[in-house]
Amino acid sequence: MSDFRAIRAKIAAMESAERAHAGVLAFGCAAMDARLPGCGLPLGRWHEITGAGLEAEVSAAPAAFAALMAAPLAQRGEAVWVLRRDDLWAPGLAGLGFRPEKLIQVCARDEAEALAVMEDALATVGVSAVFGEVEAVDLTAGRRLQLACEKRGSTGFVIKRRPYGGTARKAAAGSVAATRWRVASAPSEPPAGEFGLGAPRFRVDLERCRGGRSGTWILQADQAYSWEAGDVAHPLRLVADLGDHELAAEKFAAAA
Amino acid sequence: MAVSSDAACLGLHPGQKATDAMALVPELTTADAEPEADAQALAGLVDWCVRFSPAVAADAPDGLFLDISGVSHLWGGEAELMADFRDRLASNGLAFHLALADTPGAAWALAHFGRDGTIAPPGGQAELLKPLPPAALRLDPEAAAQIARLGLRRLGQLIDLPRAPLGRRFGQATLERLDQALGRATEALRFRRPPTPWTARLAFLEPISAPEDMARVTTDVTARLCARLEAENQGARRFEIAFHRADGKALPIAVGLALPGRDARRIARLLHPKVETVDPGFGIECVTICAYAVEPVSGRQIHIEAGLAPAVEDGLAPLIDRLANRLGPERVWRAAPVDSHVPERAVSRAAALGAAAAEARPWDPETPRPVRLFRQPEPLEAVTALLPDDPPRQFRWRGRTHVVRRAEGPERIGEEWWRREIGEVSVAHVRDYYRVEDAEGGRFWVFRAGPYGDPAAPPKWWLHGLFG
Repeated sequence: MSDFRAIRAKIAAMESAERAHAGVLAFGCAAMDARLPGCGLPLGRWHEITGAGLEAEVSAAPAAFAALMAAPLAQRGEAVWVLRRDDLWAPGLAGLGFRPEKLIQVCARDEAEALAVMEDALATVGVSAVFGEVEAVDLTAGRRLQLACEKRGSTGFVIKRRPYGGTARKAAAGSVAATRWRVASAPSEPPAGEFGLGAPRFRVDLERCRGGRSGTWILQADQAYSWEAGDVAHPLRLVADLGDHELAAEKFAAAA
Repeated sequence: MAVSSDAACLGLHPGQKATDAMALVPELTTADAEPEADAQALAGLVDWCVRFSPAVAADAPDGLFLDISGVSHLWGGEAELMADFRDRLASNGLAFHLALADTPGAAWALAHFGRDGTIAPPGGQAELLKPLPPAALRLDPEAAAQIARLGLRRLGQLIDLPRAPLGRRFGQATLERLDQALGRATEALRFRRPPTPWTARLAFLEPISAPEDMARVTTDVTARLCARLEAENQGARRFEIAFHRADGKALPIAVGLALPGRDARRIARLLHPKVETVDPGFGIECVTICAYAVEPVSGRQIHIEAGLAPAVEDGLAPLIDRLANRLGPERVWRAAPVDSHVPERAVSRAAALGAAAAEARPWDPETPRPVRLFRQPEPLEAVTALLPDDPPRQFRWRGRTHVVRRAEGPERIGEEWWRREIGEVSVAHVRDYYRVEDAEGGRFWVFRAGPYGDPAAPPKWWLHGLFG
């Protein structure tokens, strides 16, 4: 076991030597941060966020989750959101605690242009987060995004979104994204004795994570739709840990 | 109405009846007047004349003023400038009369009624104007008729008259025209493009057409202008470069900057992709560049530790310039609040960079609003809802049935009645918005258009946005 750890540390050292370490963005809950390399979402990399079912077309939950996840990042600099359809609505972002006055929206005409704009924005001084709604990122485009991220240490969020009415394209075989998340809305729970909807909840699958482990959680944005929404360090709170496949496998192996 | 020079030799003249003209010349060809085409041609000519001086004013229907103060020395003198102008106009097959004088009024009079190619010496236009008819003053027809009736046939007679009776008899306008022609009063010309002192030009011995040459002259002429801007601590927000082709067309290209700038390399880089689209035709003879919206820009020191506090000029402004010039300025924006409770009007697009107009109140974060708002609300089918004010229990959207588990509302949003005609305003123009959550957790912003009441036409339900 100790050999295994030593090899892991060696690999980690080799990996981190390649690029300047831009830091991490902690979620603020130990169970999640422990799964991520360096105890938080790695910055200076790009991340992939997908939605399931109809969300692959309208992409509301992935966009809301990306905005919540990156809200602390957007406080540090400008953010750029590259769209294909201009249906992103700033008042909704303001309610989630993402300051729209720090956000530059760009409407690209096609997929290639959206990726080019993302790359350009990622390599710009003073831009801390770049969101892009694209259908797919192939290996070449992914590497280019990664190189652009490393230039200034800014972080990219690729929100995978299919054009309306289009059929799903075959996903690329590999991806150089640091993490891949699958996000869906989850039923909210209002506090006891209250009517209406509770704080927004998301079911979040960390499907793939370089140097970390996957997991599934239910997260809640406690401060959403209040004046404090933008002021908290960790806008998402863990509500339930739904599964840790690797841990279960390890336990199973230990038992056997 | 106009006649060609051949027709004029045969005794035809403008104002003649077509039947009379046909009687004189049976094989006469007539064509309908096309004022729009004439105006367009004049505008083209005005654009072309920018190669001589940036200050050109069209004088409809058939003339133009060229303000050559301070540029004639580039040709070696006024006579040389006029000779060059004449050659180039003639090679384009145009018929024209030229005159040069201190004032627009005198130049107009000499061009229309004097000898072609007259150059009035400075301050000497009065002598040249004296033998001309009074119509040379650009008078209105009544005043001209009055003057003719009184037997005044020469401008000299008019100039010698005492001022006060002259003004009383022929109107103040006549006096003003006279003063303008003699240089006693100023005349404002409507220049086709606002005159900017910030202009640079490069002329070539041989016309150029190779793409790499055009890219290089773009860089050179930009550097020339930016050096001047830098020497005087100015920066500009808009640069317009014009390629003057050998066939007389001027092809303009413009780029805009988010912040005033004068970095020649950066501006040239923005121009280069657009230069590639220019068709050089038979070659480019001359290139001009103008800077607009010029304002003082203080010099900036480069930070030693540039990574510590990146300035807007370092990264963001060039990025926005690149994007706005590549995609078009309407595709890059920052959302700004508008004081309106109607959802589709609550957001306006502000410039991506620059002073934010903080007039409207920011959006209230306490009223939940969706992250995605559809431009066109989408109709919901098979909605079951209790009357009159309950949220829907169940609805179909895009072929899927959603069972509502939790709901909030209604939030009634009325139309902005002051934006409509008074007859169209109705109490029925309200929307009741509900925030509903289905069994899977999807959160929707749905509304009912109008209240219940008419059993024959139940109100319709729409989906306007998604919270995610």
